[in-house]
Amino acid sequence: MLKITNLKATINEKLILKGLDLNIKPGEVHAIMGPNGSGKSTLANVLSGKNGYEIEGEISFNGMDLNDLKIEERAQKGIFLAFQYPLEIPGVNTNNFLRTSLNSVRKARGEKELDTLTFLKLIKEKAKELNIDEKFLSRQLNVGFSGGEKKKNEILQMKLLEPKLSILDETDSGLDIDALRIVADGVNSYKNKENAFLIITHYQRLLDYIKPDFIHVLSAGKIIKTGNADLGEQLEKTGYANLS
Amino acid sequence: MKQNYDFDIEKIKNLSQEEKISRKKNLDLFYKSGFPSKQVEDWKFTDLNLILNKNFDNISNEVNFESSKDFKAIENFEHNFIFLTNGKIISTNFDHEEKSKILIKDFNQEEVKNINPSNALALLNSALSSGGFSLEITKDYKLKKPLIVYNCFSQDLKNKILNNKNSIKLNEGSELTLIDYSDNNTQNNFIKNTVDTISLNKNAVLKNILIQNSKSNGHFYKYIKSSLESGSSYENYILSSGLKLNKIEIEINLNKDNSSCSIYSALNLLGDQHQEIKTRINHNSPNCKSYQKIKNVLNDKSKGIYQGKIFVEKVAQKTDAYQLSKALIVSDNAEFDAKPELEIYADDVKCSHGSTSGSIDSDAVHYLMTRGISKQEAVKLLINGFLNEVLEKITNNELKIFLEKILERQINGH
Repeated sequence: MLKITNLKATINEKLILKGLDLNIKPGEVHAIMGPNGSGKSTLANVLSGKNGYEIEGEISFNGMDLNDLKIEERAQKGIFLAFQYPLEIPGVNTNNFLRTSLNSVRKARGEKELDTLTFLKLIKEKAKELNIDEKFLSRQLNVGFSGGEKKKNEILQMKLLEPKLSILDETDSGLDIDALRIVADGVNSYKNKENAFLIITHYQRLLDYIKPDFIHVLSAGKIIKTGNADLGEQLEKTGYANLS
Repeated sequence: MKQNYDFDIEKIKNLSQEEKISRKKNLDLFYKSGFPSKQVEDWKFTDLNLILNKNFDNISNEVNFESSKDFKAIENFEHNFIFLTNGKIISTNFDHEEKSKILIKDFNQEEVKNINPSNALALLNSALSSGGFSLEITKDYKLKKPLIVYNCFSQDLKNKILNNKNSIKLNEGSELTLIDYSDNNTQNNFIKNTVDTISLNKNAVLKNILIQNSKSNGHFYKYIKSSLESGSSYENYILSSGLKLNKIEIEINLNKDNSSCSIYSALNLLGDQHQEIKTRINHNSPNCKSYQKIKNVLNDKSKGIYQGKIFVEKVAQKTDAYQLSKALIVSDNAEFDAKPELEIYADDVKCSHGSTSGSIDSDAVHYLMTRGISKQEAVKLLINGFLNEVLEKITNNELKIFLEKILERQINGH
């Protein structure tokens, strides 16, 4: 599904990713762990198409060259990034935003756009699954939401847009144990043979709930070690410093 | 600069000899200064003389008052209406109301002397005014539905100037929501110069909403002078995007205690549109409140201006006055000017003011785009979010939805 070959990314003349390779197939869950400053968030940003990066190397997504796709086209074709810090956008109503987003994606996929009533029915169902209070949906997007509410809102968007590849950037940060479980349940219930996940995290914590097929250790812009779920537990004990 | 107009009082029908003389005086006073240029302090950001010279040839005041046939009332929104063509009443409908409580007639031009001799356009209005309406609501009558004043225009207004005077009087305890709805999409350059006089008696409540329905080459100037008695409330909403040139000047006199007023404005200016809102709030009495929130979005080569003055008399203790202007500048070629002024002679008052301008938050645009929304749509969502805030305080849900739709259309460029 996603094949990254020798990816280098530079921002403000600083080389962050220094030749990264990654291959994700449908049905797989990959985790990327690594210390601060190793380039984890840069990888997420580059995949979402954020401006300002100079890119070398190849990123192929279902046979398409990702570098050729605009930010919104990536979303329309099935890449979803759950932000580490979801933005607060004053004035923009959450429901209105969600409907615009869903309909943009549906339109691009050649599906019928949903009218307000059908949409509201759908969003209420999805919100209930994630234990999100309906009143959040009529508030301004993320404004005054707690950390946990913002992250749940990201997962709600993921479930609504039904992406093929979901990238979760530090989704566990700022979550208490109950919210963590709800988010993990949300991911697990969406997981199937057709879609894939890339989970970026500092800690093993989230991986106790969402079992990865592969764990990669990112250090100084390169993947230095790849293993199965056991690698996470090992890292928890020994830290990143002992790897080289 | 050449004189770019040819005004003739003889072209106004049915004037008494006496009236002609009085109008001639006003016209002579206007001729002394002509249309104001930027040298006039009140017009420093809107050089009207220059703009008119650029866009008009020999402006004339000869106007026909024929009925326009393409009038169509707004559907799915229950309302009363007054239908005007070139400012003159063609028909009225108050089917939702007790008709005896509402007095509506043609404006009696002899009633009003010039209201502000230092304002050249007001002088011109007093010299050339024809058309306009007088509306009075009787004591304690609260209209059940909003009143829409449809301002329609004939197709022969190229290089013409319309001068109208309207008066609105709310007697004690009465309530009205008035929507001044300008329904014109003419390509013709024409000028509309309007003077509204508003008088609110004890505990009366007026919501005054200004709407421009479509893109237009109209050059509009409106002067609203209002006076408030004790306990009365006057709210203004300005949604006038779409005009080539628009200047709205609002003077509010809080003459008696516990009266309050507010001005909310949400403008999305496109192309080379130019809009100015100029306010003067006179706190002439204790315990009065005024609130102003002016929001502008400047696209393309547009220009927006806000000049707001709060004046507090020595007797006006416990005044609570607030003024905020926020501009979102979308294009490098757009311009926004703000000139807030406070003049305070009382010592126990609360007055605050602020003015900010900024650009679109690119991180917010990025976030929306990662959700499949195109850049153009993302920017529109943000503009809508920015402007919609001014409608927050409207409690009547039907009215709110109606105004939200208007605003959305204006954001989409009509």
